[in-house]
Amino acid sequence: MDFDDDYYSGGEEEDQMLYTDDDTDAEDFDFIDNASDSSELALSNRHHVRNYTVLSESDIRQRQEDDITKISTVLSISKVAASILLRHYNWNVGKIHDEWFADEEKVRSTVGLLENPVMEYKDASEATCGICFDTYPSGEMLDAGCGHPFCSSCWAGYVSIAINDGPGCLLLRCPDPSCCAAVGQDMINLLASGEEKEKYCGYFTRSYIEDNRKTKWCPAPGCDYAVDFCGGRGGGGGYDVTCHCSCSFCWNCTEEAHRPVDCDTVAKWILKNCAESENMNWILANSKPCPKCKRPIEKNQGCMHMTCTPPCKYEFCWLCLGPWTDHGQTTGGFYACNRYEEAKADKEFQEAEQQREIIKNSLERYYHYYERWATNQSSRQKALADLQQMQTVHLEKLSDLQCQPESQLKFITEAWLQIVECRRVLKWTYAYGYYLPEEEKAKREFFEYLQGEAEAALERLHQCAEKELEVYLNVKDPETDFNCFRTKLSGLTSVTKTFFENLVKALENGLSDVNAHAASN
Amino acid sequence: MQASRARLFKEFKEVQRERSADPDIQLVCDDSNIFKWTALIKGPSETPYEGGVFQLAFAVPEQYPLQPPQVRFLTKIFHPNVHFKTGEICLDILKNAWSPAWTLQSVCRAIIALMAHPEPDSPLNCDSGNLLRSGDVRGYQSMARMYTRLAAMPKKG
Ligand SMILES: [Zn+2]
Ligand SMILES: [Zn+2]
Ligand SMILES: [Zn+2]
Ligand SMILES: [Zn+2]
Ligand SMILES: [Zn+2]
Ligand SMILES: [Zn+2]
Repeated sequence: MDFDDDYYSGGEEEDQMLYTDDDTDAEDFDFIDNASDSSELALSNRHHVRNYTVLSESDIRQRQEDDITKISTVLSISKVAASILLRHYNWNVGKIHDEWFADEEKVRSTVGLLENPVMEYKDASEATCGICFDTYPSGEMLDAGCGHPFCSSCWAGYVSIAINDGPGCLLLRCPDPSCCAAVGQDMINLLASGEEKEKYCGYFTRSYIEDNRKTKWCPAPGCDYAVDFCGGRGGGGGYDVTCHCSCSFCWNCTEEAHRPVDCDTVAKWILKNCAESENMNWILANSKPCPKCKRPIEKNQGCMHMTCTPPCKYEFCWLCLGPWTDHGQTTGGFYACNRYEEAKADKEFQEAEQQREIIKNSLERYYHYYERWATNQSSRQKALADLQQMQTVHLEKLSDLQCQPESQLKFITEAWLQIVECRRVLKWTYAYGYYLPEEEKAKREFFEYLQGEAEAALERLHQCAEKELEVYLNVKDPETDFNCFRTKLSGLTSVTKTFFENLVKALENGLSDVNAHAASN
Repeated sequence: MQASRARLFKEFKEVQRERSADPDIQLVCDDSNIFKWTALIKGPSETPYEGGVFQLAFAVPEQYPLQPPQVRFLTKIFHPNVHFKTGEICLDILKNAWSPAWTLQSVCRAIIALMAHPEPDSPLNCDSGNLLRSGDVRGYQSMARMYTRLAAMPKKG
């Protein structure tokens, strides 16, 4: 099983990018994402499958510049006017074209691009500022193309307040309340302070991402990249995207990448995990209500003598919920409560007890899935750290120890990338499993079979990459059986990949192959 | 601060000069503080506020006129967009639609216009807003007229 032939027919440049480029991680992860893409398998050229683009701040600026140039050329308007239009139309170039050529007049008046000033003051020697009401030589006055004159100091104040008020400054209009003339970037550059200009530019860049339906910011904290998503849901690619910062997330719901599980299930699961609702259930399952004030009482000691929290402070028996004062000689002593048996016969009490059992069981079921979900999550984190360590330290060391060029050790990185990706998928299949209805027995069985096979393969792979590799990192002489190890790890990587591809495919098909599976068994 | 003071002083002189320009509005600047103003406005005719005289209090911020003045009714008024207890006014030009080209005088005019044309969909006085929204114009008018008579008309005798 030769990895290089399988995966790297894409071309030389990919090989070089893997270990030298800053984008190493991103490229690697997106490789895995697409490689596990069941439909196309993405072997020949994965870039054809990728349906999104990661945008850096300079990419965004470049795209804005391109759009502005395009609009200004086609509509024969200034670049300032073009950017005002684009802002108003949420960077929708097509819509601007359509509406402009359908009714230029209307577009101009809604956006505030006046062709001629509504009044003239430049001919007179003086004019009165509409804000401070002082009179200045006309030459010192400014207007937004509409002819409403304001002095530069009032303009500066007006612009400053708008910019400090937030992104609304991008749609700033002439201060005259009856006037719709837009205040463009040329005015801002003339009037705003350096800091304000920077703020304005920041809003301008952000508007391209935030007002555009095809683009979103990467949700990773502190990450400045955005993602332009051009694919639909079709093609089995899902919404998972990987940012240059190595954060994989779902473009649709911006939660972490969760293929093959759908966004709704993920949202439900995350809500479920939300501590508050769960704690409530936990309290319900582990506590009984105080017989007097009905607030839940948690039993965290062996003793049956319960005292409710203030202000209630009611003392009662955990077993029978009767008042503790009744638990003297008559009841056979405090710690041998004989009323428990009596109470058990009481139907109402029995029902309450049953109810608690049901809740408890449902929690135990939840905890089964949650525990595995969370364990795979932390296992993935660990694998990511190990991968990092591998790329920065161990590969070099191994290369020296085993007298192998690092390019020959790619199979190790590939194994770790596969582990990281599989942990992610496996984790989400536990959320899927939790919501798979119990009564769909055949589906459950099929699902658990696929999940089990995949999980077993992954454990073998993870173990081999973690434990067996260590041996070769701690020896002096080149091991003769290193090639055997290479074959084994590459083989496990490939096998695991296949199992997970099958699992992903099956879940994305809603386990519709269940009948074929049942028949073959 | 200096700019707002200068601007307010201009408005002050304008008010002195044009004392009779708008008989429905009487703007007065506080003797000791040019950032505090009061106004007496006449209730518009053919409204339940007709015949009433309403007092407004202005608190002008240092950033004026780049930022709007704060205005509230001192006289009790039953109006959907005026808080019955505090006299606070819900009017777009006093918030996000403010323009520095407005003056205290034009704010008074806008408030008179608001008295004549209430906006029951952004109520500060829910009782009043609900009456109007439910179509009970007569109910609203009789309440408003009653409060005008009680609070905004000079007591006779
Ligand atoms: Zn000015
Ligand atoms: Zn204008
Ligand atoms: Zn990112
Ligand atoms: Zn999603
Ligand atoms: Zn209690
Ligand atoms: Zn007991």
